Amino acid sequence: MNSFELIKRLCNTFGPTGCEDAVAELIKREISDDCQNVSTDRMGNLIATMRFGDLNAVKRKKIMVCAHMDEVGFMINEIKSNGYLGIATVGGISDSVLAGRRVSVLSKKGLINGVIASKAIHHKPRKDRKKTTPIDKLYIDIGARDGDQAKEYVGVGDFATFESEFYAFGDGYVKGKALDDRMGCAAMIEMMHRLHAQPAENDVDVYFCFTVREEIGLSGAHAVAFRIRPDLAIVLETTAVADIADTPAAKRVADTGSGAVISVMDKSTMYDRTLVNKAIETANNNGIKAQLKRYVSGGNDAGPIHKTAEGIKTLAISVPTRYLHSPACVAKLDDYETVSMLCEQLIREFKEEI
Amino acid sequence: MTLYNTLKELCLCPSVSGREQKIREKLSAMVAPFCDELRTDALGSLIAVKKGNGGGKKIMLAAHMDEIGLIVNYIEDNGMLRVAPIGWFSFEASAFTRVVSERGVHGALVPDTRTKPEDFPKSEFFYIDIGAKNRKQAEAKVAIGDFFVGTPVLDKLIGTRVCGRPLDDRIGCAVVLGVAEMLADEKLENDVYYVFSVQEEFGRKGALTSAFAIQPDIALCFDVTGTGDTPGAVPMACRLGDGAAIKVRDASVICDENVVRAICDVAKECNIKHQREVLLKGGTDTSSLQMAGAGAAVGAISIPTRSIHSGVEICDLADAECCIKLAAEYIKRA
Amino acid sequence: MKRLNIDRQQLKSFIFSLCAIPSVSGFEKRAHNDICALVGKDFDEIRKDGVGNLTLIKRCGKENAPRILIDTHLDEIGLLVREVCEGGFLRVLPLGGIDVSIMQASDVIIYGKQTLRGVICSTPPHLKKDDELPEPFEVIIDTGLSEKQAKELIEVGTPVGFAPVYSELLNDKIMGKSFDDKACAACAIWAVANTPREAICGDVYVQLSAVEETNAIGGAASAVFAADPDYAMVIDVNLARVPDTKSFETVNMDEGVSISMCAATHRRLTLDTAELCKQKELDHVLVAAPDSTGTNATSINLVGLGVPVVDVGLPLASMHTYNEVISLKDAETLTSLVAEFICDKEIAAKYKREEELI
Repeated sequence: MNSFELIKRLCNTFGPTGCEDAVAELIKREISDDCQNVSTDRMGNLIATMRFGDLNAVKRKKIMVCAHMDEVGFMINEIKSNGYLGIATVGGISDSVLAGRRVSVLSKKGLINGVIASKAIHHKPRKDRKKTTPIDKLYIDIGARDGDQAKEYVGVGDFATFESEFYAFGDGYVKGKALDDRMGCAAMIEMMHRLHAQPAENDVDVYFCFTVREEIGLSGAHAVAFRIRPDLAIVLETTAVADIADTPAAKRVADTGSGAVISVMDKSTMYDRTLVNKAIETANNNGIKAQLKRYVSGGNDAGPIHKTAEGIKTLAISVPTRYLHSPACVAKLDDYETVSMLCEQLIREFKEEI
Repeated sequence: MTLYNTLKELCLCPSVSGREQKIREKLSAMVAPFCDELRTDALGSLIAVKKGNGGGKKIMLAAHMDEIGLIVNYIEDNGMLRVAPIGWFSFEASAFTRVVSERGVHGALVPDTRTKPEDFPKSEFFYIDIGAKNRKQAEAKVAIGDFFVGTPVLDKLIGTRVCGRPLDDRIGCAVVLGVAEMLADEKLENDVYYVFSVQEEFGRKGALTSAFAIQPDIALCFDVTGTGDTPGAVPMACRLGDGAAIKVRDASVICDENVVRAICDVAKECNIKHQREVLLKGGTDTSSLQMAGAGAAVGAISIPTRSIHSGVEICDLADAECCIKLAAEYIKRA
Repeated sequence: MKRLNIDRQQLKSFIFSLCAIPSVSGFEKRAHNDICALVGKDFDEIRKDGVGNLTLIKRCGKENAPRILIDTHLDEIGLLVREVCEGGFLRVLPLGGIDVSIMQASDVIIYGKQTLRGVICSTPPHLKKDDELPEPFEVIIDTGLSEKQAKELIEVGTPVGFAPVYSELLNDKIMGKSFDDKACAACAIWAVANTPREAICGDVYVQLSAVEETNAIGGAASAVFAADPDYAMVIDVNLARVPDTKSFETVNMDEGVSISMCAATHRRLTLDTAELCKQKELDHVLVAAPDSTGTNATSINLVGLGVPVVDVGLPLASMHTYNEVISLKDAETLTSLVAEFICDKEIAAKYKREEELI
């Protein structure tokens, strides 16, 4: 399967924070030929281990590579008597991308369609038309005739996600929901294929961790890091770029088309400078396009990982992605490629000291 | 070396959160004669161990060696640098002051001319002028991701008081060094860990990971605290010159009551000037020390300091001397 | 057939006794001895740690049994003396989220070298232009003492609590301070103490954790790190529905316990607990807490290798005031649920930790 198809299948799978099972199943199937050592921990994190080099070497090193499986979504918090479903977001979603969107709801009878409806413009007073409708005034319509029928399908605490067509467009761009962080998952899967075909030669154990619950900041990555205690952790992510028209250059986080984004600092982590330099150097030496993240914003699994236990050296490499946490995320496949390549190269070149 | 000289040497070594290498090297050399073991952890905290006779408790003393600062986000075509704050950096207190980069490049932190005073807290209105004519010239000296700090300085004021930056928390480091020196020749039951932690100003991280590694029974934090003795200050029963401040509470932690009482008792017994501290705003590494792993009984001995996080922090070295003596006497008895 | 025979009057008195033990956040260690005296005999081991957590352990006597942890928090909201001012007044700050509007003119107890009474100062309407309230940290307490006396008896850093007065309302509702969260602790202790050892499926750790109200992580995490349980239930109070509140943010009183559906807790254990309630005919309602439960559950879940945790709530009205209200009927349901939870063989079998190889 090519990258496009792989990312497409991953993105179109239902997996909001706290409900990542379907994504985990898909990944397990994808990596079954590359790795026999696959396990799921109590939190739901999927861990695949590949060992390289001399298995009896005294000084083997551990690398943890991780990407999160979950996506932002919704939780149903009320079944109204007229059959509509009250919702709250799981993970940060701006109110401005909610009204009028298609959603999938995981019901007792499987995935069903719904739409986030709100008052039609005709019913809105003029002053409200220019305003975003807050989420507590929005509801999901699943076509139920009343509350009782709705309850046959869904209950309080059930999940929903955006539903959004995945397609290629423009100059090598793709659009879909959940690019954050299914692209990271895809990058890991493809890396595993390559490492299986041509194993690394250094004495390393690589733990590929597909983690849960990144989007609410209470990440499962912490538990995995605590278990593995790696010498190096690499987080594969997406990062918001703001490279669109009208954004002042100083506020652009990164540019699409300029390759893998290496984080220097975000709201959760101050990255180890030696590691950052090593990543830049590796990219340059191997002709892989890379750029530094310019603006201090966001956070990712590096936050919980690097302060786990006695502390873990952590690096984050991201695909520059537009419109994160919306039903229409946009990224360039070339950038995706560089993330996967750079991470693979870092693994192959990992030596004792960084 | 006198406390003033130690402090001055520490202050003049800029080391923002996440870039503590230089100060770590300096502190390593300074603490080495007073300990049996020295190591650096994955995040960069320096851990010095003075071994006890065995069978005693593990006591951890921590002071953070990082300081607040700025990170370069973007270089404008005209050579000006756009920055973001690291830690609780006060742009109000630092407008129109001199800053210096990790590579020693000097500059001035200036608000955009159109900026109204009420917008001063926002970083986006500020830039650093390093004298570059254009981006190319700037890029020869500075790269995106480089750090700047307020110009380090330390001067003597009247009596035993000093003014400069970053007293937060080089004065704490100096106190821990003082304790280490004072206890160097003592035969102790307990293992004592002197920890110089990283990234306190950026999420109190270094103390967390080093406390996890050490799993102390008792952990003490040494940091600055505010005072209620300046014009217009929010009332607070803590004054410069009134001795070591024994922390009861700050915004991040409520200290262990037994530890607080024990420290107070030692202060009374040894006739060391002290005061009890309840700090309204601002947190310290104490909370990280308390919650790491299976947890520890925590206390903190603070150095009263005025204008914290500005370029003109003021403390009284006599208070710091009290802190050293108090901590040393407490550890001997713990 | 109910597993436990609960005498409502006895449960009520037990709740009152436990809740009346002062345990201001950060000063929990002062409560340890009183609690141990009250309930210690029913447990096999009692652990106290540096943070102030208290853990009561009852063993099941079986080999290789799972460790089941029930977390409730020991601390209660209160005040802390910042400064002893002229005239013997105390300047204080709140410990935990307290609304200044409920503090004015209330009775407090100052836990200084002696236990003293005090009144929170308020401005009478005659002297006030508008309804503006002071900032929480501007609150002042009248001790009735002279400055000299006050300084002798009260040090900076002395905890202050609300006065414990307990009474009954209609329909078996009860009123008083610190039901958050010691009423839940009382139910958990009662359930574990009164369940025969042979019936429980694992070693049960009833944890009364420290500084939930004042610390971002809560003391619970460090006690859980030491206990290393196989699975856990966190019990805290939940906002009861009162006029002018949103229906999806509150639960009705007298309709049983609430069980939180949250992306940050263990979904399967949560659903299994709800199923257990159904089987045993215990009133319960599912509530959505999408990102966070706002209780110890989210932090406990992340301890060490991760702990499967279910978050259970007891509806409570007027939270964080000194006259909180709960329903004894709900308390009874909660007590039964804890007993069923620790005796459930299916849950024990399913969540007993297996060695996970990677």
